[in-house]
Amino acid sequence: MTSNALKIDDKDNVAVATEPIARGAAVIVNGVSICTAAEDIRAGHKIALVDIPAKGNIIRYGEVIVVATMPIARGEWVHIHNTQPATG
Amino acid sequence: MEFYGYRRQDGRFGVRNYVLVMSSVACANGVVEAIGRVFPDVMAVTHAYGCGYATEDAAVSACTLTGLANNPNVGAVLVIGLGCEGLQCGYLVQGIKDKPVATLIIQRDGGSAATTAKGIEIVRRFLEELRLQQRVPAPVSSLVVGLECGGSDAFSGMTANPAVGNAADRFVAEGATCLLSETTEMIGTTHILKRRAASPQIAGQIEQMIENEEKLVRATLGDRAGMVIAPGNIEGGLSSITEKSLGCITKGGTTSINEVLGYAQTPTKRGLVLMDTPGYDIDSMAGFAASGTQIMLFTTGRGSPAGFPCVPVIKVVSNSTTYKNMPGDMDVNAGVIIDEGKTIEQVGLEIFELALRVANGQQTCAEINRSQPFNYLKQGPTF
Repeated sequence: MTSNALKIDDKDNVAVATEPIARGAAVIVNGVSICTAAEDIRAGHKIALVDIPAKGNIIRYGEVIVVATMPIARGEWVHIHNTQPATG
Repeated sequence: MEFYGYRRQDGRFGVRNYVLVMSSVACANGVVEAIGRVFPDVMAVTHAYGCGYATEDAAVSACTLTGLANNPNVGAVLVIGLGCEGLQCGYLVQGIKDKPVATLIIQRDGGSAATTAKGIEIVRRFLEELRLQQRVPAPVSSLVVGLECGGSDAFSGMTANPAVGNAADRFVAEGATCLLSETTEMIGTTHILKRRAASPQIAGQIEQMIENEEKLVRATLGDRAGMVIAPGNIEGGLSSITEKSLGCITKGGTTSINEVLGYAQTPTKRGLVLMDTPGYDIDSMAGFAASGTQIMLFTTGRGSPAGFPCVPVIKVVSNSTTYKNMPGDMDVNAGVIIDEGKTIEQVGLEIFELALRVANGQQTCAEINRSQPFNYLKQGPTF
């Protein structure tokens, strides 16, 4: 299966779309289907690979990049509308 | 490993051999531009500063302009002054060493037309002198390589930046110096960079440098401090400065951090060195050029075509879409890491080998396009 998302570190709970992923399509990381996109995801944007609770850490590069401001379900888009800076 | 460069009297090597014509103050820009029109191969550098500012900016200005003139890629320098400016060109040229230098002052030398005519004669003499100089074998360890990014996107941290980091590791392995800058884009990564410091003292300097920058950002932006990301970056998918910073510092590769420099200061250590510069890429590149950097590796995602005067800049783009959308602007397409399954190591080697060819004289896209904007750090008010 051709990958459409990239995960950088094993600890990451998000992947980054390498091409547009339509709602309902499989999110494929390293050739493995991880989940289904809950909404349209633009290339370069992040997708939750697991359910993340409100105030839960969003981890990329193995480090905390932002914190969820609301519960984020697996397959949902992760960006500034549902997160805030961890140090802000 | 060797390349072919121009040997300077102080033992450094240039990868280019420019005649630099620059103004000491914006009021002299017209003459600099007029001389530049006569000699398209001369590097004519103008700027908006040189008068009416506070002590700190005056010091940065002098250091940056003198530093650019002292860059080993510059073979001869003509400075054009006005006469009544704060940053006197006599003061500027005092610091220029080991190369032919001349000054002209418009108020003294007969106004714009006469000064331009005198400048043309001086440049003609410089060009004849430099034509006799030839490239000689030079060690790769003598290179100072600047690592820069601008117009990043979410792919920058996955493809272009790690690939440049791999190239940086290769330069460091050869004994060269690599400069990583843009303190704004290190905010949120202090704990990671400190782990890589060569000594506790350097770790302390890293912490202080980033803390000072963060204080400045917070004082200026208040509640929005955590979101110091250009709109293009948010559009591209980056959610915070920490996410962007993590992707940014991968340009520095994996080696230890051996020194921390102020803006436009010259490195005294080999290996990976940090320089305190703003995130604005043009200002950051000016700090590099003034420090003696001979070549720069510049990553972009959205597509920055900008090079820099006197210093060849290799543009490494993070994705194939931008590479195809901007033909002739990008030297390396790191998007193949996603499209073609190439490894970061493969693209890193490609960048390293291209950088050596560029050091030998091959032109970069930004050089061919003459995309060489000049600006430098200014912080205080103008009076």
